[in-house]
Amino acid sequence: MGWLIDLLPLPYTDAVVVIGAAVLGIAAGVLGALAVLPRRSLVGDALAHSALPGVAIAFLVTGAKDPASLLVGAGIAGLIGALMMVGIERTSRIRPDAAIGVVLSSFFSLGIVLLTYISSTGNSEQAGLETYLFGQAAGLLERDVAVMAGLAAGAIACVAIGFRPLKASIFDRAFAASIGLRVRVVELASTALLVVAIVIGLRSVGAILMVAMLIVPTVAARQLTNRLSRLLPLAGLIGGAVGAVGALASARAEVPTGPVIVLTGTVVVLAAVLLAPGRGVVWQAARRRGERRTARSSGVLIDLETALHAGPPPTPSELAMASARPARDVRRGLRDLGRAGLLEHDGDRVRLSESGAAAAHTALEGRRLWSAWLEHGWRLDPGDAREPDPRDLRGSLGDDLVERLIAMDGGARP
Amino acid sequence: MAAPHAVPAIELAHMTVSYGASPVLWDVDATFPAGAMSAIVGPNGSGKSTLLRAALGLVPADAGRATILGQPAREAMRRVAYVPQREAVDWDFPITVREVVEMGRYPSVGWIRRLRAEDRAIVDESLERVGMGPFAGRQIGQLSGGQRQRVFVARALAQRAELLVLDEPFAGIDARTEAALLGLLAELRDREGRSVVMVHHDLQTVREVVDWVLLLNVRAVASGPVATTMTPENLRRAYGAGEVGLDEREGAAWAG
Ligand SMILES: Nc1ncnc2c1ncn2[C@@H]1O[C@H](COP(=O)(O)OP(=O)(O)OP(=O)(O)O)[C@@H](O)[C@H]1O
Ligand SMILES: [Mg+2]
Repeated sequence: MGWLIDLLPLPYTDAVVVIGAAVLGIAAGVLGALAVLPRRSLVGDALAHSALPGVAIAFLVTGAKDPASLLVGAGIAGLIGALMMVGIERTSRIRPDAAIGVVLSSFFSLGIVLLTYISSTGNSEQAGLETYLFGQAAGLLERDVAVMAGLAAGAIACVAIGFRPLKASIFDRAFAASIGLRVRVVELASTALLVVAIVIGLRSVGAILMVAMLIVPTVAARQLTNRLSRLLPLAGLIGGAVGAVGALASARAEVPTGPVIVLTGTVVVLAAVLLAPGRGVVWQAARRRGERRTARSSGVLIDLETALHAGPPPTPSELAMASARPARDVRRGLRDLGRAGLLEHDGDRVRLSESGAAAAHTALEGRRLWSAWLEHGWRLDPGDAREPDPRDLRGSLGDDLVERLIAMDGGARP
Repeated sequence: MAAPHAVPAIELAHMTVSYGASPVLWDVDATFPAGAMSAIVGPNGSGKSTLLRAALGLVPADAGRATILGQPAREAMRRVAYVPQREAVDWDFPITVREVVEMGRYPSVGWIRRLRAEDRAIVDESLERVGMGPFAGRQIGQLSGGQRQRVFVARALAQRAELLVLDEPFAGIDARTEAALLGLLAELRDREGRSVVMVHHDLQTVREVVDWVLLLNVRAVASGPVATTMTPENLRRAYGAGEVGLDEREGAAWAG
């Protein structure tokens, strides 16, 4: 690890913190997907909260604030919480969401009671145990980070090896079972991996906000890809970046790490939800706007061509009248066409420029092709499920089919 | 198909299944011959899906025994491809159409090993067979209802299983694709001797393409070769004599 610390242009302690937070972010990102994708994000929340009494009990038992033993306690308590949730779901009529609520609140209450008791004993060792609530990445030791990295590497290796069983059992439980997978075992294993992720992050992010570290990377990565095999590494990357940035900021500002990391993550999720290509809100709005604009100007273009065929160049309002289009649409369409250099103005009358005539010709031919498709398309058998796109028939069907279509239409191509 | 192979595809003995108080399958004995295309026919709620799931060991039976290709259901699972009536999958899951069909190869490739070139060829062929080749890269939720169904039929094809168990595989699939897929199933039966057992509501089609039929309504009403089993008498016993619409349905069934 030494070389990595040397590599970063940061003071030694900061470098350790950043690397530690990056490791926890990577682990939480990859393993968190195992909770988010099956829609069990709040199981992660409950597990993180149930880890807290484990920390307290480990301290009471060992009487020392040794991170390793505290985290073992956290892990054991998390697993007990997980088993309790499964038990409640299976044996009673309580629904999973209620089971999560029961386990989360009862374990967390126990944790708070124990922590309060510990701090009232006046044991000088106990100072700093409350960092397990909101997290404190500052003060991580190189030794701690090495343990975290080892755990993370092991857990991520498990995911890589179990990739197919995990994918099959999350996506299609019944099918996975029908081809002989022990789905329950896979689910238990993935819960255990989730506990590992929580143990890795508990000290730096804290029990209360750990869930955000599990959810944020997957939500952001899901915006960017439709494939699990890309989502997992992407989530790891995003988690690592969020962790590192958040930890550095919190160390500089001397505030608890958990909230800073969560705020950083929120920014990332917001950006992904708004801007992701394809799925992002802004992206989609821009695409729809573009589509509307194209449709409007090509409609106005064809209307203008028709009007020019019928008589003298029209004014915009005459064109609107003739084409039964709102005057505002016609004005905007003409503006766009004019900007593209397709129009010539003659006082307030409009004509097509040379390139405008060519564009109108292409548009009309597209329409003619579409009518030919509607009329004769059924006789063409593409032999697969090629989807005709009314805006670009040639592009969507391919040249061969389009040539056959034109031939069927009596070679109606000027 | 008249002479069933020595080992039947599915054999059910005294099968009784109940979800709540009253049984939805009662003492059903049924045999589906291997190397044949068989259909289970009966009204809604008559226990067809339950019969298939009990045969595959996916719901526990109160009594009775199911044998698949001569083995107990548990051990035969790998030799069977099953398409349930309605897929309970997560349609938002980050998975492409192609990856779904690739899952059909897991039983033979295993959970870890890479797909071999031949597996990829089988996947491609299965996708082509259901006409979903051009959609291979789409996320599974970005398909129409019938296209989704086709993907799961493709996955079953990709399994190259000896026995295909299909629960209303053509629900929501257009007539042309249905005809093509039925032709494909018949081809699998004739060329490779594979067995097909499906639930299908269209009596007309059943009469035309299927070899063997089980009429079911909680109990097994009749079973045997289509010609001698799908008599008006037996259909009335399965669907209920006084039911409105039976005559039209029967008329339609006989019309072809
Ligand atoms: N999970 C379940 N819990 C309780 N009852 C059920 C369950 N599934 C089915 N049933 C009942 O069992 C009976 C048989 O159901 P089944 O799904 O086998 O019918 P089916 O013949 O496949 O009908 P369809 O033609 O509508 O698919 C029905 O009366 C149904 O209400
Ligand atoms: Mg059914």
